[in-house]
Amino acid sequence: MLLNTVVNGTAVSLDVVPDARLIDVLRNALGMTGTKEGCAEGECGACTVVIDGAAVNACLVFAAQVQGKSVLTVEGLSSAGQLNALQKKFIENGAVQCGFCTPGILMSATALLARNPKPSQEEIRRALAGNLCRCTGYAAIIKAVAAAADEGRPT
Amino acid sequence: MATPFKYVGRSYPAPDAASKVSGTLVYGTDLRLPGMLYAQLVLSPHAHAKVGSIDKKAALAVPGVVGIYSHHNAPSTAYCRYRIMPGQAGCIDDETLFASTARFFGDRIAAVVASSLEAAREAARLIEVNYTELAPVLSAEAALEPTAARVHPGGNLVHEFEYAAGEPAELPAGAVRTSTTVHTQMLHHAAIEPHTCLANFDSAHKLTIWSPCQSVYGARIVVADLLGLPYNRVRVIKVPMGGSFGGKQEFILEPVTAFLALQTGRPVSLTLDREECIRSTMVRPEQCSVVRSAVRADGELIELDIETLLAAGAYAGSSPDYAEAMAQKLTRLYRVGRYRHRGRVAYTNAPVAGGMRGWGAPDIATCMEVHMDQIARQLGLDPLDLRLRNLVHPGDIDPLTRRSVGEARVRQCLERGAEAFGWRERAAMPPGLGRIRKAVGLASGAHKNGMLSNDFPEISTMTLKMNEDGSLDLNASIHEVGAGSLVMLKTIIAEELDVAPEMISAREADSETSPYDFGCFGSRMTYVCGAGALALSQMLRGRLIEAAAELLEISPEALEAVNGRVQRVEAAGTGLSYPEIVQGARMRHARDLIVTHTYQGTSNPGSYCVQFAEVEVDVLTGLVRVNEMLTAVDIGRAINKAMVEGQCHGAIQAGIGSALLEEVALDADGRAGTGGFKNYHLVNAADMPPVTVLLVEHEGDDGPYGAKSVGEIATVPTAGAIVNAVNRVLGTAITTLPLTPERIVAALGEAAATRGRDASCC
Repeated sequence: MLLNTVVNGTAVSLDVVPDARLIDVLRNALGMTGTKEGCAEGECGACTVVIDGAAVNACLVFAAQVQGKSVLTVEGLSSAGQLNALQKKFIENGAVQCGFCTPGILMSATALLARNPKPSQEEIRRALAGNLCRCTGYAAIIKAVAAAADEGRPT
Repeated sequence: MATPFKYVGRSYPAPDAASKVSGTLVYGTDLRLPGMLYAQLVLSPHAHAKVGSIDKKAALAVPGVVGIYSHHNAPSTAYCRYRIMPGQAGCIDDETLFASTARFFGDRIAAVVASSLEAAREAARLIEVNYTELAPVLSAEAALEPTAARVHPGGNLVHEFEYAAGEPAELPAGAVRTSTTVHTQMLHHAAIEPHTCLANFDSAHKLTIWSPCQSVYGARIVVADLLGLPYNRVRVIKVPMGGSFGGKQEFILEPVTAFLALQTGRPVSLTLDREECIRSTMVRPEQCSVVRSAVRADGELIELDIETLLAAGAYAGSSPDYAEAMAQKLTRLYRVGRYRHRGRVAYTNAPVAGGMRGWGAPDIATCMEVHMDQIARQLGLDPLDLRLRNLVHPGDIDPLTRRSVGEARVRQCLERGAEAFGWRERAAMPPGLGRIRKAVGLASGAHKNGMLSNDFPEISTMTLKMNEDGSLDLNASIHEVGAGSLVMLKTIIAEELDVAPEMISAREADSETSPYDFGCFGSRMTYVCGAGALALSQMLRGRLIEAAAELLEISPEALEAVNGRVQRVEAAGTGLSYPEIVQGARMRHARDLIVTHTYQGTSNPGSYCVQFAEVEVDVLTGLVRVNEMLTAVDIGRAINKAMVEGQCHGAIQAGIGSALLEEVALDADGRAGTGGFKNYHLVNAADMPPVTVLLVEHEGDDGPYGAKSVGEIATVPTAGAIVNAVNRVLGTAITTLPLTPERIVAALGEAAATRGRDASCC
């Protein structure tokens, strides 16, 4: 089937099998390997992308479901080679260790800050509850998201 | 606070942090090579079965399938997945590429190689294996029954040992004997990146393996020996790793992926899914220890006598060494007149056990610290005072190894931690009588710094060169696990040579081009490799000064290296810049600014951590919530503050999981019911309590600037502190982990420890 969608602001038109998962189309057909696969069952959140403003596990949706929609992946956060404020805060606050969960967490935080620019600590925790990290214990991540919110222009 | 350091002790981001937040870092699972094939494993659906005929007809008909391999068409050479040196003691060669007898639910039976992952998976589904089921042996206790089925032909007892120090003495009047049996469960390492490996046998007959491993030299030895290749024809390249926690320490996918590449002559990629990772890679061992002690009425430990029974699972792997490691922790932690630790390791038809963060220290600390609280209850002592009476002092000699525990500051961790946590006041508060009750608990733990022992050396070789512009290249076999090893080394070099850390590049291990190092494990990165980098930097500084002296035609004693220059002592701006020295020395005196050094470790002091937890328990549902934790770590010196703190937070998250949530559970047939993260729960952001980190810094040990290990020790006391807090809330003596709601409700109902099966393992 022909899939017409927008990925990171660019119109994409490509032929996909009807049961192709979004994560596979992103990683294999489009070569965007920033979106990671950690469990394939929507539990770890490493594959989180933002679809029309909502954080979604790309392993749980068919590519066909983003027909006519807009998908934002981790590759779409930087512009012209410049990291955005949220990405910078992750680096500054030591929120990155092995980095495998980082893209998914950034996308959940991006969706949160877009709908709630001044989240409380509790709201940040809840927004990231679907993203597992085995390295950091989350404290630095929560601090980084709060710092990006404080800066006011998270994305 | 004033610091004598320019770069050490500040906070630096993780290596490659910018490429990690932009999604551009290429991990093992992202690698693609032209003509690459995909492999899919066929895993045993039975815990114990004879593998008969394998019908491949339907599978071979799937378009794109290139080959199907099993024990029928692969070598049956046995190897040990844990080996890092030829002839290494304690390695048992009992595993093969493909099993002819399936020894656990998840054993490798066959592999399909195809041009696409979809084709490989489809074909794997169509392979028909004829199994003859055998009775499985599911616990170490059952395995050692005389009538037990044999997991391997030689019998189920893999290893047994006894460590002892001191003489048994007659007990004084009023002494108390106490015994506690503690059972810890199989854990999944749960790195978010699944296991993955890529291998290619190229037209020059060289095998290259790209692996997120912890020892390129170890992987090279295992693969080359197995496939009969000279070591210089096997090149192992460490690729970025999405977490390991010990789960990628042993060589699980490298041998089979290399074999498939050799057979097909094409690059082969093998990536497991989460269920396969849980089922078929390795788990932290299930173990049960009986801790018996004799204590004076004032709490002084007179004797400790411990028996450990550990399940190796289907293959021995690291279990013999792991069990022995458990026996060598407590004499670094407590003074005790008589210590004896006996251990047995048994094969079972269960997932293969192996090293996990802490390598036996969290397991035995949990047993010991739960036991210490039982002693405290029996004697009516504050658990804090009981520990203060018995913890080691700086300079104590470990009676088992006769080596010093070094500048052991565990007492300071306990005292400063108790003060900051408000232990005395909070411990005096009653837990309450309502549905939600709360209390505090504490535990201490000891670990090590590197692998030096009376029969194992510690060495690391590194090369450092300075370029014509004054930038530096460190070449060492470093395996970054995400904890900041590369940044730590760069920081030390920056400090010693007085150059900005950005001037230094450090690459990861490549067995073809980087000098020898054992690997990134054993809490040795900072203490051993960091000390090696410091010595190396000092040598290069000496060479810079000598070269500058030659160029300036003055005595080297009159010179110092400051701020990127070699100058006359305390005469800023004089002398030569580093680039001038490098260029001048090469052109005028045929000298190159490159140094290679093999560092030898000569000490292995204790690392220490004390933790305090406040928990609340819903006595109706048995649900436990950890409200707050404080961790006090005897770090010696934090080279990179943010990463040290990050290690402490992550260590507590894993420890809470092991105390309350995480378990790879088997059903009565030995099948893992834990199919994924849907029923293997990690602590998430919403449930993670606030954590206070206290770092006890001091000098005196051989690590760089006094630095000691942190990543492993920081998770050692966590489970013990939480179990002790829960038992203080409820007045129970639960000793089977994890403390699930079912176990808590049962313990409340029966005031008995645990369910029958669990408690009877020893």
